[in-house]
Amino acid sequence: MENVTQIVQHVRQAHWRVQRQWIGLFLLGLVAAAMVAGIYLNITVRATLAGREIIYLQNHLIDDQRANSDQETILAGLTSVESMQSRAEAMGFKPIDSGTITYIVVPGYVPQTSVDMSQPGADSQGQSQKPVLLPAYTKSLFDWITRTLVTSTSVGGQP
Amino acid sequence: MKKLSFWRYVTVAIMLGLIGTSILVQIVRIQNSPEVAGVTGQGAYIYKTFYPARGEIYDRNGYLLAGNKTVYEVGVDLTAIPAAKDAALKMESDIALAAQSTLGMDPATALSRITNAPAGTQYIVLQDYVAPDQADQFMTLQKNDTANPNGPNLSAVDFTAHLMRSYPENDLASTIIGYVTRDNHGYMGVEEKYDNILAGEPVTKLIPADPRQAVDYPKIEPGQTLILTIDRQIQASVEKILDDALVSTGASSGTIIVMDPKTGEILAMTSTPRMNLNDYTQVDQIFPGETPYDRAISEAYEPGSVAKIFTMSAALDNGTVKPGTIFLDTGTITVGGVQIHDWDNGAWGYQDMTGCLANSLNVCLAWVSTKMGNNAFYSYMQRFGLGQLTGIDLAGEVPGREKLPGDGDWSPVELGTNAFGQGVAITPIQMVMAASALANNGQMVYPHVLLAQVRDGHQSNMAPHIVGNPISADTAHTITTMLYNSLKRESSTALLDGYSIAGKTGTAQIPTSTGYDPDNINASFIGWGPIADPRFLVYVWLEKPQSNKAASVVAAPIFKQVIEKLVVFLGISPDQPLAKTAGQ
Repeated sequence: MENVTQIVQHVRQAHWRVQRQWIGLFLLGLVAAAMVAGIYLNITVRATLAGREIIYLQNHLIDDQRANSDQETILAGLTSVESMQSRAEAMGFKPIDSGTITYIVVPGYVPQTSVDMSQPGADSQGQSQKPVLLPAYTKSLFDWITRTLVTSTSVGGQP
Repeated sequence: MKKLSFWRYVTVAIMLGLIGTSILVQIVRIQNSPEVAGVTGQGAYIYKTFYPARGEIYDRNGYLLAGNKTVYEVGVDLTAIPAAKDAALKMESDIALAAQSTLGMDPATALSRITNAPAGTQYIVLQDYVAPDQADQFMTLQKNDTANPNGPNLSAVDFTAHLMRSYPENDLASTIIGYVTRDNHGYMGVEEKYDNILAGEPVTKLIPADPRQAVDYPKIEPGQTLILTIDRQIQASVEKILDDALVSTGASSGTIIVMDPKTGEILAMTSTPRMNLNDYTQVDQIFPGETPYDRAISEAYEPGSVAKIFTMSAALDNGTVKPGTIFLDTGTITVGGVQIHDWDNGAWGYQDMTGCLANSLNVCLAWVSTKMGNNAFYSYMQRFGLGQLTGIDLAGEVPGREKLPGDGDWSPVELGTNAFGQGVAITPIQMVMAASALANNGQMVYPHVLLAQVRDGHQSNMAPHIVGNPISADTAHTITTMLYNSLKRESSTALLDGYSIAGKTGTAQIPTSTGYDPDNINASFIGWGPIADPRFLVYVWLEKPQSNKAASVVAAPIFKQVIEKLVVFLGISPDQPLAKTAGQ
């Protein structure tokens, strides 16, 4: 027992061991801080790149919308009444005379009286039912933990 | 040995510590350095206004009537011009010459804009609304010159693409659509009436220059898309018929309206003059002085005999007369101390009410209105909406005027003259709205050109709107039958083989400051069909035709031409035996 006490006292008294521990702790802290800083820098860089990408995509979107408008207008010009009539005449077509039409009754046929420009997936409020961003991209770690906890505690809670 | 080991540890720790600390310091320094702040714009915000794309306008079948196309703003970034005087002068001259060769600008003007920019200006516009091919030329020039260090220097020239209104059908339905000027404001027609929802809401926002905050960028909603009730095929046909009619009759102007009498949807509406909407700068030349942009809604006139259908409807509904009521036409009647004559100054003898309409007898209709009395007659005219705004969704509608007893300028004779359409000022669209009650079981519909709005992919359709029931359904059927019979009785040139049509001509003198113009008339025709289930209501008005002074000769055939096209485009099958079939 006395020997054990002596060994402990000897170890405690080893100054270089205490210093090594402090140095180790310092280095551990330094590595931790560097890791945090590194992660922060990495996240910042990624956020900046994503931001740049968003700006680029926004500009691209505007360009595409403009190009679409151009194409629609060009197409409308090519298929304008005047243009289509002259093309039809050039192909030998003539406007039909009301007296030369033969009408056939088709039971149950209801002709479409106007165009429907609704887009599939748009609800009555005009909002797209499909979410633009998945929740995974918007919820925080805290949201995820909370939802996980709530989900796990509510299992089987429904009658 | 232990001492040596200790110092090794300390040295390694110090080295690692220094490296680690320097990394941390460097991270913090980079994060906060002015260079990075300059790149990311950290803390910097700029006010930016986002202009949404103007909403498109389609016809009822989805054909584009008004869209957008890309144009460029060509400007000069004054901060990119060198500080050295010689170099600056060379660049400015290079830009001015390039502007001349590609944009057709006067080089002196271009140079003056650059050199005389107010102090502190960073950017000036050389020319806006530049066509893409011209801008492409300029961009190519800039690219080539940048590749050649000894060539002209155009690096300070900026090109900003944006949209401007474009009308692929040029002048088709121009009086309905209206136009948009370069300040993105709509004028006349739909463009003005729905300017707010077409233009969208410009959004001005503080935008962070830091790309990490790009999520803060506002979402700009484009202007809403509008779908009109117009059918471009019918519209084009009606415009051609009207243009040809002006040539063949020598009329000074004309108006044609085609409406669905059950819904109030305007299928086609045109008047003259019209203009190419892509060249709206001509508006003052095409519509000089008081010339209305759209006569159908903006010009009130004395309609003459077509108004007799409202007088007769009112009298039938009121019980004053029946279709078989006999009237002895002696050729004259005195109302308010003033003698009224028939259009031919003749005496037509015994006539039933259908005969009064078929022969368009002023004396008979004046007798009918006086028999009704002031209160009843004017009450019905008010219920028909004559002399009042219809509220059609187009800019520029005028109310016209129906004088009423008690008004300072009303005189008793007007009870007689108003009965056959004199002494009132009515717009063509009012005539059409009022006549819809006759064609639609007594229900008067709201005339409109907007069929639907499209926003965020969802289409909201306009529901038909009944604005009143001036007469009963029975009266509407009776007057329709009378007008159908009267057209048949006179073998009207408005009739189309195989189709039952009800209608009435109107030949009206034109009032001037010194009385009625002896040389000119307004010729009109209003009609609808097929009478059992009316699908169209058409109004034709020719102003001052020269070929003939009778509406039955100049306006009725125009009506027939219109309905000939309508039955084809609307797929309306004949409801009566065809003459060639019946004759077999």
